[in-house]
Amino acid sequence: MLAKVMVKQSLPLIIFCGIGAILAGSTFGAMKDLIREIPGLIVIIPAIIALRGNISTAFGSRIGSAYHLGIINADNLWNDELKENIKGSLFLSFFVSIIIGLLSYFTSFLLNVYPDPVKIILIVLIAGVISAIILTLMTIGIIYLVFKRGYDPDNVTGPALATFGDIITMLCIFGSAIFVEAIL
Amino acid sequence: MIYSWKKIVKHGLPLLTITLLIEVFAGQILQGKQEALLLFPIFLISIPVINSVSGNIGSVLGARLASGLHVGYIQISLKDKEMHDNLFISILIGIITYFILAIVIYLIALFGNLLTEDIALIEFIAIIVLTGFLLICIVAFVSVFTAFISFKRGLDPDDIVAPVVTTVGDFMGIVFLFFILGIFGVGL
Repeated sequence: MLAKVMVKQSLPLIIFCGIGAILAGSTFGAMKDLIREIPGLIVIIPAIIALRGNISTAFGSRIGSAYHLGIINADNLWNDELKENIKGSLFLSFFVSIIIGLLSYFTSFLLNVYPDPVKIILIVLIAGVISAIILTLMTIGIIYLVFKRGYDPDNVTGPALATFGDIITMLCIFGSAIFVEAIL
Repeated sequence: MIYSWKKIVKHGLPLLTITLLIEVFAGQILQGKQEALLLFPIFLISIPVINSVSGNIGSVLGARLASGLHVGYIQISLKDKEMHDNLFISILIGIITYFILAIVIYLIALFGNLLTEDIALIEFIAIIVLTGFLLICIVAFVSVFTAFISFKRGLDPDDIVAPVVTTVGDFMGIVFLFFILGIFGVGL
C-alpha cells in the first residue's frame, strides 16, 4: 500500500531532521538575553537560516549533477569546476548577507525600531560567511565519502545539509552576535 | 569549464533576494512579538522545528509530484487520485511528526529550565499540532500548485518547488503560531 511505504520511508528522516531543528531551536532559546540586548537581531535569524539552506542545497545539487555528468569524481575532486562552485557559494553568501543586513535595518526603521546598522550588518556578514565556509567544507567532505562508497550524492547531500546546516548557522549567529557585541 | 562563479552569483541573486525579503518580514513579526517570545522561550525553540518539518514535507511532496509529472503517472488535474493520496499522506506524516517533536521539545524545555511561565504539556502539544496542521495544509497546497504551474510552463518543478515551499512555510509557520497562541490566550 502506497501510504504505508511513504510513511515508512520518509517519516524517520523527517523526524531526524526535526531533532536537528530542535538543537538549532535550543540555540535560539539560549540567545534570549542577546536578543533583548541587540534590537534587530531576531529579525535576521529566519533570513540567515533560509539563506544558508538555499545556497548550500543548491551547491550540493550542482555537485551531484557534476558527478552525474562525469566532470567530477573521487579521484578528481579538487578541480577547477569545484573551485568555481565554491567561489560562487562564498560570493553569493557575502553579497546576500549584506542585503539581509540592509533589509533588516530599513524594515525595522519603518516599524520604529532603531537597530545599530553597523552591528546588524556585521553580525549577519560574519555569521553568513563563516557558516558558508564551514558548510562548504562539510559538503565537500560528505561528497568525498559518498563518491568513495559509490552512492548517488543527490540522495544524501540534501537531508544531511538541511539537518547540520540549521544547527551550524544558529551557532554561527550566536558566536557572531557575542563577538560583535564584545568589540563594538 | 561548465561552471563560473559569476554565473552562479547572477543566477542565484534574484530569487534569493525575493526569498530573503519575505524571510525578513517573518523576522519582523518575531520582533513585534519579541516580549511574548522571551517570556516563553519554549516557542523560540519551536520555531525552527515548525519551519523545518513543513519545509521538508513540502519539498518531499514537491519532489514526488515532480517525478510523477515527469514520468506521467500524475496528471495536471485537481481530481488526480495519485495527487490526492500524496496530499493526504503528507498531512498525516505532518501531524505524527509534530506530535512526537512537541513532546521532545517540552521535555528539553523542562530539563533545561526554559519553562519560565507555566504551560501544560497537553496545551503545548495542542498548540504545536494545530499550528503544524494548518501549516502543512497550506504548504501541501502550495506545493501542488507550484508543481503543476511550473510543469505546465515547461519549467522543472524540482528547481522551483523547494525554495517556494520553504519560504512560504517559514513565513506562514510564524503567522499560524501566533494565531494559535492568540486563540489559546498564551503570551498576550
